[in-house]
Amino acid sequence: MSVHPQFAEALALYAMGTLDDPQDLAALESHLGTCGDCRRELEALRADMALLAFSVVGPQPPARSRERLLGAVAAEPRLERRDRQSYAVGHLRQRWFTFAPVMVMLMLAVFSILLWRDLRNTRRTLRHTHAQLEQMQAELARTNAELAEAKMVNDLLHAPDAWPLTLVSKKTPPQPQIKTVYSKQQGALLLMASNLTPLPENKIYQLWLLPADGSAPMPAGWFKPDGKGNGMMFHKMSAGVVAKGFAVTIEPASGSQTPTMPIVMEPAG
Amino acid sequence: MRVSGTQAPNHKDDAALIARIRAGDQSAMADLYDRYAGVVYGVALRVLASTTAAEDVVQEVFLQLWRNPQAFSSDRGRLAPWLAVIARNRAIDLLRKRPPEDDIDVMPISTGVNLEDEASQKLVVDKVRGVLVGLPQDQRKALEMAFFEGMTHTEIAGKTGEPLGTVKTRIRTGLLALRKVLA
Repeated sequence: MSVHPQFAEALALYAMGTLDDPQDLAALESHLGTCGDCRRELEALRADMALLAFSVVGPQPPARSRERLLGAVAAEPRLERRDRQSYAVGHLRQRWFTFAPVMVMLMLAVFSILLWRDLRNTRRTLRHTHAQLEQMQAELARTNAELAEAKMVNDLLHAPDAWPLTLVSKKTPPQPQIKTVYSKQQGALLLMASNLTPLPENKIYQLWLLPADGSAPMPAGWFKPDGKGNGMMFHKMSAGVVAKGFAVTIEPASGSQTPTMPIVMEPAG
Repeated sequence: MRVSGTQAPNHKDDAALIARIRAGDQSAMADLYDRYAGVVYGVALRVLASTTAAEDVVQEVFLQLWRNPQAFSSDRGRLAPWLAVIARNRAIDLLRKRPPEDDIDVMPISTGVNLEDEASQKLVVDKVRGVLVGLPQDQRKALEMAFFEGMTHTEIAGKTGEPLGTVKTRIRTGLLALRKVLA
C-alpha cells in the first residue's frame, strides 16, 4: 500500500476523528475522494484503533443490560425496520418524513392564501354582477311597464271602436288641432291630429322641426288623416336637435325636403 | 479469552448473525449481545469511566444496529472491530458532549487480524497490551489521549507541551506499531 506521505499523519488523526484543522480536513477529504490507496490506509488505521479498544476488554456489563436491550428490541415497530432498505435510502427517507409535515403545512398555507384571494375576487365579481343584474332587472321592469302602457294607448287609439272626441267650449265649432310630444334626447316625436281637412289622394300633411339655431326646417315625418280628419304618427330622427317649434305643410304624397308654403298649422300663440 | 459471553464468534457466524438481524430475528440480537457486549462495554467504560454511561452506549450501539443492520457489511470488515470503533466513537461523542448521530456510520474496517476463535482473540489482546506497554511513555500517552479521550492533536500538544508535528507523528507511529506486531 502506497500512502501519500503528505497525508500520512493526517490520516491517523482523521481515523480517530481528532483532525481539527479545517484546511487539513478539507484537503484530506478531497484527496480521499480520489485516492484508493489512502482510503485503504484509512480502513487499516481504523482496524488499528479497534485493537486499542480490545486492549481494554474485560469488564462485562450488568445482567440487566441484556434484558434492557432485548426489551427495547421487542418494542421496536417491525415496519420501521422493514422500511430501512439501505443506509442511504433509509437516511433520506427519515429526513424526508421529518420535513414532510412542514412542507405539507407550507403548501396548504400557500394554497389556502391563493384560494382565499380567489374566493374574495370571485365574491367581489359576484356582488358586482348581482348589482348589475338587479339594475338591469329594474330597467327591464320599467321598460315593460312603459311598453305595456304604450301598448294600451296604441291599442286604444287603433281600436275599431275608438272614439276620439275633443271637448271644446260649448259654442265653438270643431277646430283642426295637432298635438306633438318631442324628446330631444331620444330623437323621438309623437303626433296626434284631429279635425284636419281631408286631403286629395296625392297629398299628405308633413311636419317640420324648426331648429333653435335658426337653420333650415328639418323634415319630421308625414301623415295622412283618416276620413274624419284624425291621424297619429310616431317619428324617429337624429337625437340632440334643439327645436324652437314645429310647423305643418301640405306636400306631395312622396314628401318634400323643403316645406311648401303656406304653413297650415303652427304652434298656438 | 473470549470477547464476551459463552460463544466463540467467527466471521461466518457474524455474517449469518447479521443476516438474521436483517430478517428481523430478535433472538439474533441476544446472540449478538452475548458475543460482543463485552467489547462495546469495555471501550465505553474506559472512555466514560461510568458504568451507567457505558451501559447506555451498549444499548445505543446495539439498538442502532438492530434498526439499521445494513450499516455493517461483512464483505467490508469484521463485526468485532467495527463494533469496537463504533462504540469508541459514540463514547467520545458523549464525553465531548456532541449531539448524537441519527444513525451509525457505514465505516469499512480492513484488518487481517484473526479474531475468529477464542485462542486467537486472547492472543490478540495480549499482544496489543504488550505493544502498548512497550511503547515510549510519551507516545503511549499521546495515543491514549487521542483514542480514549478524543483529544485533538492541538489539545494534546497544548496539554503535553510537545510540538504539534511530534504529537501527530507519535499517534501515527503508535498505531502502526500495533499493526506491525500483529501482522
